[in-house]
Amino acid sequence: MVTDFLSYSLIPLCSALAIPFISRKSRRITEILANVTLLSGLINVGYIILHYIIKMDYSSFTFDAFTLLMIFTIYLVGLAVVFFSTYYEVENDTNSNSYYSLILISVSAMCSLVMSRDFFTLYIFMEAISVCSFALITSSNSKNSIEASIKYFFLTFPASVLIIFGISILMLNYGSFDFDTIKFTNINFLTVIALSMIIIGFLIKSGIAPFHFWTPDVYQGSYSPISAYLAGIVTKIGGIYAIIKISQILYNSGATYKISALLLFTGMLSVLIGAFGAMVQKDFKRMLAYSSISQMGYIILATATFSPLGIFAAVFHLVNHATFKTVLFLNSACVEKNTGTTNMEELKGLEKKMPYTSWTSVIALLSTAGVPPLSGFWSKVLIIIALWQSGNKYYAVIALIASILTLAYFMIMQKKVFFGKLSEKLTEVKEAKFQLLIPVITISIIIILSGIFFNRVYFYLEKIIM
Amino acid sequence: MNELNSNISNLVLIPLLLPLISGVLLLLISDKTKYLKEVLSFAVTGVSFAASIVILKFVLQSDNLQYHIKWLGNLSSISFRIDQLSAFLLFGVSMFSLLLSLYGISVKNRGSSKIFYFLLMLTQTAAAGSVISDNLISMLFFWESMVVLLYVFVYISGETQACKKTALKTFLINGISDIAMMLGIIIIGYISDTFLMSKISQNKLILSGWGTVAYVLLLIGALTKAGAFPFHTWIPDAALNSNAAFMAYIPAAIDKLLGIYFLARISLYIYQINSTMQIILMSIGAITILVAVMMAFIQNDYKRLLSYHAVSQTGYMILGIGTLNPVGIAGGLFHMINHASYKSCLFMTAGAVENQTQTNDISKLGGLFSRMPITAVCFIIAAAAISGIAPLNGFFSKELVYKGTIMSGYTIFFYAAEIGSILTLASFLKLGHSVFFGKTPENLKDTKEAPYSMLIPMIALAAICVIFGFGAHLPISKLISPSLMALGFVADGELSGFHFDNLFLLSLVVIIIAVSNHILGFRLSGKAYKSSDHIHYAPVLHQTYDMAEKGYFDLYEIFRKIFSSFSSLLFKIDRFFDKLIDDIPVSITLYVSDKVSKLHSGSYSLYMFFIFVFATAYLIYLGGIKW
Repeated sequence: MVTDFLSYSLIPLCSALAIPFISRKSRRITEILANVTLLSGLINVGYIILHYIIKMDYSSFTFDAFTLLMIFTIYLVGLAVVFFSTYYEVENDTNSNSYYSLILISVSAMCSLVMSRDFFTLYIFMEAISVCSFALITSSNSKNSIEASIKYFFLTFPASVLIIFGISILMLNYGSFDFDTIKFTNINFLTVIALSMIIIGFLIKSGIAPFHFWTPDVYQGSYSPISAYLAGIVTKIGGIYAIIKISQILYNSGATYKISALLLFTGMLSVLIGAFGAMVQKDFKRMLAYSSISQMGYIILATATFSPLGIFAAVFHLVNHATFKTVLFLNSACVEKNTGTTNMEELKGLEKKMPYTSWTSVIALLSTAGVPPLSGFWSKVLIIIALWQSGNKYYAVIALIASILTLAYFMIMQKKVFFGKLSEKLTEVKEAKFQLLIPVITISIIIILSGIFFNRVYFYLEKIIM
Repeated sequence: MNELNSNISNLVLIPLLLPLISGVLLLLISDKTKYLKEVLSFAVTGVSFAASIVILKFVLQSDNLQYHIKWLGNLSSISFRIDQLSAFLLFGVSMFSLLLSLYGISVKNRGSSKIFYFLLMLTQTAAAGSVISDNLISMLFFWESMVVLLYVFVYISGETQACKKTALKTFLINGISDIAMMLGIIIIGYISDTFLMSKISQNKLILSGWGTVAYVLLLIGALTKAGAFPFHTWIPDAALNSNAAFMAYIPAAIDKLLGIYFLARISLYIYQINSTMQIILMSIGAITILVAVMMAFIQNDYKRLLSYHAVSQTGYMILGIGTLNPVGIAGGLFHMINHASYKSCLFMTAGAVENQTQTNDISKLGGLFSRMPITAVCFIIAAAAISGIAPLNGFFSKELVYKGTIMSGYTIFFYAAEIGSILTLASFLKLGHSVFFGKTPENLKDTKEAPYSMLIPMIALAAICVIFGFGAHLPISKLISPSLMALGFVADGELSGFHFDNLFLLSLVVIIIAVSNHILGFRLSGKAYKSSDHIHYAPVLHQTYDMAEKGYFDLYEIFRKIFSSFSSLLFKIDRFFDKLIDDIPVSITLYVSDKVSKLHSGSYSLYMFFIFVFATAYLIYLGGIKW
């Protein structure tokens, strides 16, 4: 584990421990503490990154860029969700005691995960994140959320089993868990099995087809801000991150590891199943869950090229996915709060009543579909270029076509929910509270700016693969 | 001398830029001002005319004028080069613009005066630019800008559907021919490595391979502009649906000048054409003469009758150019300027009559001589000139064309031209008789003479007809011979002058035949406007005429029919592809989507089953593969 960033994981942990003691006095203090903790962390890490991005001077940049970027993303989504939750449902009191503690613990665990430099630490924090998620999903105390939580647990436990087995075999083989010690230069059968088990485990954890079955149910059933949290960052750090890391290791050790073909196929399957599944969904959140599967497929496709550009694109798409999916899920939460439903059949013409929600959704969905100049365009272009350059031209074409499907299902969603004539039942609907819009609008601005100033972001991202 | 040359060179910009700028300025003038726009455009065209005279004088006395402006980077520059021919054309263009800007003041159905004069000014710029451009690309630029102006000119003349249809027809025929011309110019630029006509002429192109293709394309452009058969069909339609000022300006004058100018340029200046192409050219000329005059002969609309003559007379010019000998070419060019003057004059009389009587239908007119004497006299002079009655200008130019045709050895075309002359005279006897003589209808008893703004240009043009006739020496020596020199021809022997020879006697025979035909027709039908009926309703001709009037021989109508069936075919193909790429993928997508979402039934055991099956499959796949 690298210790440079230790404070990013320790401070939320301390806050989380403090919350149960102070929250008896006042709920407000809990919220302030949680927000301030994450905000200070975000300002801190954001300053480091922005300093270099704005100055365009990376010569004195000594940090681990990949880890730093991941921490930034974790804090960004974490803060957005916490801030959103603060104003989301004041009357129907969630158990704020555990709620904010759990979020802070999972932020802490995620930061630790991205700092880990060996498989075992990775595994531990992944489990810690999962445990927090099980509890967080049930925050709304509804029947659906408990079902979702149980499904999440039962459908992802095989992953833990596979991963721990895989890690054990690696330990047997190399006598170490360390990323740097384990060199995949002369690979024997056991290493193959071990790596395969680990990768399949993480595929299950990150909800990639054909192991994606838990995703729609869980995202749909869980407490709305938590859906954003899970889809935006948790399952990504808990799953995809490890796969990117492994491919980075494989690339660095120069192994000609032919799991590439399998991952490419899986990624393509995921892209297509997610896109096709999203097309006919009637529930806003469920549709976003399928979209999430599809976008995860893109990241896997990029990772599977095992090339610097592919890893680069995968990381950037992960960050982009965190931004736009958070926006969309938080918007769906606003819609649910103000109209009482997420069923798209019952919604229509909300744009007149909720213009900001509508237009931030448009920005996010255009970014997802890869429309220039938004940031999603660049990551998608890079993914397609990486696929093309590595010789997987058919996959590149499929990725390109699937981005049309992405635009199609999002347009269907936008048309059903926001555009058109206002449904008569919804004449009383108001725009979401100003405070609820702040995170969404902020992230939308980040999407636009990082797309427009991509040249600067690019130089930063280059550091990841160096 | 050099300094003078550069000063004069700058003068070139006056007929070019002055109308353009003032045309745009006209749009700024309020609609409420009376006569301000008219006075301004009259002044502008006057100044341009003066400038063009100065240029002409300079070019005749000393040297060609050149003027270059950088444009389009390396591809092309605007380069003007005024030799004697261009100076002559510039003079013609400026003169007709001046006369028409005066005439336009009182024409009623010309649309708002703002737009009319705007178009007139811009047309002058475009025409002047076309005739003085040395570079084919800049010439094309000016040439094609006229298409839009033509369209708007016709479009604003009336509110009716027919008017808009005719405007579209005008636009399509001219636009397509301009595209042909553009292709031709591109090919020329490709095969000769330059777009400068003066450079190409030093090493003339010959008709072989791509050169032939380019020539034919350019020929289409030139003939369409001149209004020759079979690209003439928009002119008679425009005559019905547009105003007399437009007809007198563009189809009668400017288009003829430009078309014949460009025909002369391509056929004589940048190409060395062979005898096959010569026969084709002369045949086009002869066919144009005969077909159009036959159509003109039976018309009962004043302007439409004139418009068919405008087509027919083009045939003489093409015939003259096609002879490829100096006499014929001189005849063609001389006929060009003569035709422009008398045809413009005739259209002006038509406009005056229309203005005073609100009709163009010659069956409703009659006996206007006593009520509109000046108009009538102008009409008679111009009609005599167009019919080739000595000693008016038409006689001399036609005489030159006949001579040239005989000298070229293809006497058959000579006979065709003579028959054309007979019918021309016959149809003008019919027209003049029914409009200006005979009984006056009751409703026209109070008809007054046309206003001075109409009479002055008319008189001026009639005077030109007379001057260029009696004093044919003047235009021949000042305009035509130098133009021939510019094209690289030298006339052997005197071109002007009255020759009491067989051709003159033949012209007398023509007059006798035409007059007796008219008397015969008049006797048979009893009405002047029906004096062509004995030919119109002759056995075979009757059916042919009917078909022609219905547009069966109109290339535009034929293509329109072909294209409408073609486009309905395309529509069906489009529907098919629409289904293929629009409906089928959507239905497949929805089908797959439906299946995929049904798979996610929420059943835990199913999900678990999938996870285990796929995990096992993956492991087997990976374990069984050699690295």
